Amino acid sequence: MKPPPQSRAALALRAGAVLAAAALLGILAVPVAGLVARVPPRDLVARLGDPAVLQALRLSLVTTACATAAIVALGLPVAYLLATRDFPGKRVIEVLVDLPMVLPPTVAGLALLLAFGRAGLAGRALEVLGLSLPFSTLGVVVAQVFMAAPFFVSPARAGLASVDARYLDAAATLRASEAFTFFRVMLPLALPSVLAGAAMSCARALGEFGATITFAGNMPGVTQTMPLAVYVALQSDLEAAVTLSVILLVFSFTLLLGLRLAPVGLFWRRADAARHAR
Amino acid sequence: MLRATLARRRGTFQLEVALEAAPGSTLVLVGENGAGKTTVLRLLAGLERPDRGAISLDGAVYFDSERAVEVPARRREIGVLSADYGLFPHLSVAENVAFGLRAQGVPAKAAHGRVAAMLARLGIAGLGARRPRELSGGQQQRVALARALVLEPRLLLLDEPLSALDVQTRRELRAELRALLAELPCVTLYVTHSPMEAIVFGDRIAVMEAGRITQAGTREELLRHPRSAYVAEFMGVNLFQGAIVRRADGMAQVQAADGVLNVADPGGAGDVFVAVNPREITLHREAPSGSAQNVFRGTVVELAPEPPFGERVRVVLGTRPPLVAETTRQAVAALGLREGSQVYAAFKATGVVAYR
Repeated sequence: MKPPPQSRAALALRAGAVLAAAALLGILAVPVAGLVARVPPRDLVARLGDPAVLQALRLSLVTTACATAAIVALGLPVAYLLATRDFPGKRVIEVLVDLPMVLPPTVAGLALLLAFGRAGLAGRALEVLGLSLPFSTLGVVVAQVFMAAPFFVSPARAGLASVDARYLDAAATLRASEAFTFFRVMLPLALPSVLAGAAMSCARALGEFGATITFAGNMPGVTQTMPLAVYVALQSDLEAAVTLSVILLVFSFTLLLGLRLAPVGLFWRRADAARHAR
Repeated sequence: MLRATLARRRGTFQLEVALEAAPGSTLVLVGENGAGKTTVLRLLAGLERPDRGAISLDGAVYFDSERAVEVPARRREIGVLSADYGLFPHLSVAENVAFGLRAQGVPAKAAHGRVAAMLARLGIAGLGARRPRELSGGQQQRVALARALVLEPRLLLLDEPLSALDVQTRRELRAELRALLAELPCVTLYVTHSPMEAIVFGDRIAVMEAGRITQAGTREELLRHPRSAYVAEFMGVNLFQGAIVRRADGMAQVQAADGVLNVADPGGAGDVFVAVNPREITLHREAPSGSAQNVFRGTVVELAPEPPFGERVRVVLGTRPPLVAETTRQAVAALGLREGSQVYAAFKATGVVAYR
């Protein structure tokens, strides 16, 4: 039986969509699979014992953790401001917050260097305090914050803005201050978005390369994070570069997967159960 | 004492209202959807700002456009029960009720005691650990009420507190809510679109139409002298007053001026009001054999089709006591009713609201 023309068009459309999706997923998955397939698990474990690798891994984890903490602490007020207030120049601030997402990391690193370097405006001010960011571990964190903050602020802001106004009205009539309402109502209700943003920015900070190498340099033990170590290894030892890449890949993948699998409802319930247990 | 004059314009909608209500009394603001009732509550609570006007509560000035006074919502001693209750979904019942106390810095232990007492008072002591989504509509309503009352407000604002409930629950909770409100020392402002609820809850009733109060008075005044088409609908509510002359098994007989009514016992002593919704009254040609405890025989005095299409018909009955029933045009035709026909009017004791 011949299908009617309309359903044939629909069929073609469906086939096209499947092919398009398969093509993109292929572009995403094949390189990842290629990396993983290159490295026997035994090599991976052996390589983890290498002090140089451990050093880079530890530095990556420490700087990423610090950067993520700083992004959440400094980004929440920004997200709250953008979600709840209207003020002149708000559009400019919004663009400023989003800018690092589209800026080439090298350009970001250069900008950081000009601002926080010896000759830079902020750099001179910090020097008075005895602080020097370029080519220091703290510089790595600053570069990561600069590049990864937008990945937190955008979803956090969207989450805070989407909290139903009736809960905020209820809190106001229950005589709660703005701060109390934020911590007790807005933040818990926006928690899925806030946690998603934190995880995204954490993953972005972990993978940061361009801004870090431009601004903080590439000193083993001080500023050489995992992505930089991969880059260096690539110059001399391909197998080492691949192994390091896989380690980094496993961390990033686990982070993002953990985010998908952790139901935030559980978070509420757990906090609740703890309170009742007391 | 609540005194408020409120004026606000939004687009073409102009709201202009003056209110006054005494502590311990309930003022009902009744009107159709879009009349501006909820806006009045929001203006009083401080969730929206009037263009002009003044609000004072027990001597404290909350708003005065002349003197540029505006107290923010969180500094007003006002409790609000919104139509959807607005319970925090991520907090337990006890945490919801404790919210306002904790927000004001009451220590956890002291708050816990007051919360427990309030939950017990509203008959929901066992629900403290539950989440709002695990509660029935009636339970949610009581939690929201407890949450507002635990702060001991000077003014309680209720926005359609029964409308989110199904018919059966609404009937059960109506009497309970009325008893609770009667005990409260604060001013209560009750917003509803239902003339029936206005009659049951209002010590005074203010009728709102298109942003204005078109009539205000006691229920008797409104029943006797309706001054607008909307108020005239109140005429449909059958209201009687009398003493309880006999009680048995949770039922009571009320001796009204012109007849005896069987109702669910509202408890207490003294005169009670009995309100009968005309839609609860069924009409029969033969004496009904069902479970209705109230059956009256009489003649049809008047058949008045309801605008706009006459699908529903008001039937004025010469029974003792006199009743007005509301039925469908089909039912009138099926029964062959004409003015002068003999009929039986019947309603269940549970279809009646008896209250003090």
